[in-house]
Amino acid sequence: MTTENKNIRNHQDGYEIDTLTNDRLIKGHDYDGIRELDNDLPSWWKWLFYLSIVFAIIYSVRLFVFKSPDLIQADEYNNEMADFKKNKSKINANQAASFEVKLLTGDASLTKGQDTWTKICAACHLADGGGLVGPNMTDNYWINGNTVQDLYNVVTNGVIQKGMLSYKDQLSNEKRLQVVSYILVKLHGTTPANPKAPQGKKYE
Amino acid sequence: MELEKFTYDNKLAKYFIYATITWGIIALLVGLTAAFELIFPSLNGGIPWFTFSRIRPVHTNGAIFAFVGNAIFTAVYYSTPRLLKTPMFSKTLGAIHFWGWQLIIVAAVFTLPLGYTQSKEYAELIWPIDIAVVVVWVIFGINFFGTILNRRIKHIYVSIWFYIATWVTVAVLYIVNNLQLPTSFLHSYPIYAGIQDALVQWWYGHNAVAFFLTTPFLGLMYYFIPKAANRPIYSYKLSIIHFWALIFIYIWAGPHHLLYSSLPDWVQALGIVFSIMLLAPSWGGMLNGLLTLRGAWDKVREDPTLKMFVVGVTAYGMATFEGPLLSLKTVNALSHFTDWTIAHVHIGTLGWNGMLTFGMIYWLTPRLFNTKLYSKALANTHFWLATLGMLFFSIPLYFAGFTQSLMWKQFTQEGYLAYPNFLETVTQIMPMYYLRAFGGSLYYTGVILFAVNIWKTVRVGKFVRYEEFSAPALEKVPVIEEKIAWGWHRKLEGNVAKFTIFALIAVLIGGLVEIVPMYLVKSNVETISAVKPYTPLELEGRDIYVREGCYLCHSQMIRPFRSEVERYGEYSKAGESVYDHPFQFGSKRTGPDLAREGVSSLPNYKPDSWHYNHMLDPQKMNAESIMPPYPWIINNNLDVSHTASKINVMIKLGVPYPKDYASKAVKDLNTQAHKIGENLRSAGIKVDDNKEIIALIAYLQRLGTDIYKDRELNNND
Repeated sequence: MTTENKNIRNHQDGYEIDTLTNDRLIKGHDYDGIRELDNDLPSWWKWLFYLSIVFAIIYSVRLFVFKSPDLIQADEYNNEMADFKKNKSKINANQAASFEVKLLTGDASLTKGQDTWTKICAACHLADGGGLVGPNMTDNYWINGNTVQDLYNVVTNGVIQKGMLSYKDQLSNEKRLQVVSYILVKLHGTTPANPKAPQGKKYE
Repeated sequence: MELEKFTYDNKLAKYFIYATITWGIIALLVGLTAAFELIFPSLNGGIPWFTFSRIRPVHTNGAIFAFVGNAIFTAVYYSTPRLLKTPMFSKTLGAIHFWGWQLIIVAAVFTLPLGYTQSKEYAELIWPIDIAVVVVWVIFGINFFGTILNRRIKHIYVSIWFYIATWVTVAVLYIVNNLQLPTSFLHSYPIYAGIQDALVQWWYGHNAVAFFLTTPFLGLMYYFIPKAANRPIYSYKLSIIHFWALIFIYIWAGPHHLLYSSLPDWVQALGIVFSIMLLAPSWGGMLNGLLTLRGAWDKVREDPTLKMFVVGVTAYGMATFEGPLLSLKTVNALSHFTDWTIAHVHIGTLGWNGMLTFGMIYWLTPRLFNTKLYSKALANTHFWLATLGMLFFSIPLYFAGFTQSLMWKQFTQEGYLAYPNFLETVTQIMPMYYLRAFGGSLYYTGVILFAVNIWKTVRVGKFVRYEEFSAPALEKVPVIEEKIAWGWHRKLEGNVAKFTIFALIAVLIGGLVEIVPMYLVKSNVETISAVKPYTPLELEGRDIYVREGCYLCHSQMIRPFRSEVERYGEYSKAGESVYDHPFQFGSKRTGPDLAREGVSSLPNYKPDSWHYNHMLDPQKMNAESIMPPYPWIINNNLDVSHTASKINVMIKLGVPYPKDYASKAVKDLNTQAHKIGENLRSAGIKVDDNKEIIALIAYLQRLGTDIYKDRELNNND
């Protein structure tokens, strides 16, 4: 099954030429009819290789000799956190200045509250508020009080023993107030599909 | 000159072609099913062995070892005798190799969906099958090297170099990564733990890509491209350089799978710099393949085989450009754990491996059956379906990966995570999952056309089992060699023993330099005194976590970024996983990270009753969740018959349980199970203490808690 090689001619200096490319064939390199050309490595390929080696050397020297903080994982993290902390104190001061825990009744706030409810709270209290892992939010029974401030405190600090998380690091005070308002204005008093049995104390 | 007569036996090449196509159809169908399960989570119908996390390993192992594996053996059994002018060494060994390999695949197809797994990606097979793999691989090796010894060609061709490197390296990788102590006939624990286990695994995983999906396919390319195009190889020198550079450098790059993990900086750095240096050697292969087609481009337009080869080799070039890119820390911080990785590997497998396999079989079948390809038009349609399928598969996933990663990292102006609920970031990319499934369907349709075309060709033709050939015996071959540069390498090509040893040394260096110090130098894995072994119940729960394949969608590795620490808690430390046989870091976050799932002061924490309800019906808790339901975990009784032997194996592996703890383990297990059972019952759930869910909850609630112990309330109080 030798391949037919009609594209080969002999050069006057004794070697063989591939007529389609005019490249030199290497004599004696014939494998089941496969021949090999004596071409050099493309020079851009060689440069690509050299450059990658230079990159490797520079990278290694920066890490192992100069211990550059942008290459050391722990330093990188500490710098990111330090940057954030600088800004955070400013943000907190701003937030504290203009915030009051008071029931929100505007449609825009309640819609935002509902959004948070669906995304976060529904995982335990279900979307219709009927409760499953967490208590029913639609009835008149409350474990930790029924005022805006009570609910706001629960969302903010959680009730760890019962599995209720603290959301102060996940939701801004604005968002926490919105969702609490949504519960009290919209959810409370509705009729869910499968309400959980009452828990806590009855408030009229 | 006296000629010796000999015959090539085409039987095994034919068998391997049939196996390639059969397993291709199965492995890809499983992949497609998995893609649809991500869109319709309840598609599993509550059936364990049909669930995403159980069939995903069937898809990956099937695509790699069954589809690509049989394609490799097709190429080796067809090209090796012809390149060496001698029949394969032994028909018996060849037959054992063929049937042994198919049996292994059948065993995998049954054990993996049933949950018998080691949970190391692409090394999931349990220990009895691992032993079978090694035996078959050795038989293949004897057959292959025996053929080389019988050769009638002094110098071995570049395809053979790549086959040699493949055989040697896969043997080393497979054995080292699968060292494990059995606890029963179907279960074992790896001898490595935590970050060391992860390093060994990704040294293996990365080089399975290198030495199973790449080097044998370069060998295949170097034979079938010049044959199909009837053109000489572009550059012999390039072959030499890129071969040695590739096998030497590849082996070092494994740690780039663990960037920003708890792997020490120096190992990560080695992974990065060697990945960057890998670009040129990889492209050397692509160039030698494409430039061999100079003077034959008119044929490429016409011939489906060559078309497929061109797209395949180009996909190789793209994937090997992307690989180094993804190894840069800044890019990896974005890409890791997202669908970007899935897109990347599919460019490699669908493009490079798939297209080369199709091209090879389109070329080979008519020759084996002394006829023409049944339909060129059908092959062309396959070509377009495959190419478009690949694009529809990967482009949406690039987009999905990028989008999701940015959402994970996004903060609001007040400094809160913009998307604190992980699910939001999943819902956002669902349209991309639809498109991916569409792309996969296109590709799969092409595969069906391919199978039909080959089947019809086989039916029309008549199988040519033997081909007569003659050549002078090796010692009588006159050596017509002209002197060119690189003569020293020419000598090496004539000395296969030396060549093989050099190749072995080249691949051993990188692994030794990275892995050995991780064991010998204590500072690489710091000791944390608060970290204690798992209780027997947690250990059993962990084995359920492994069995179900949770690691395929949930990572347990919090990277040191503010966005991850905010979302998941303190970033993961190497010292925390020292008793994790096997490690469960995962490589993809289809769901949230679970490294600190049990820490009740963190945002991800959920009470016991939540986990119970969530396993039963995830969509009840989160309507848009794409997690499949796992009702059988709720219903199954926990099997404690191996608990004692598991503890004993752990003790042997150096986990500091008290000396005769095995005998007390089940008693402790029951005590802890009763406590969790009580807790669930107090939340109104009717459950017995002896259910699997209790063990799984115990494990989940333990996750990540050790270093938080002095910081928080005990959540069971």
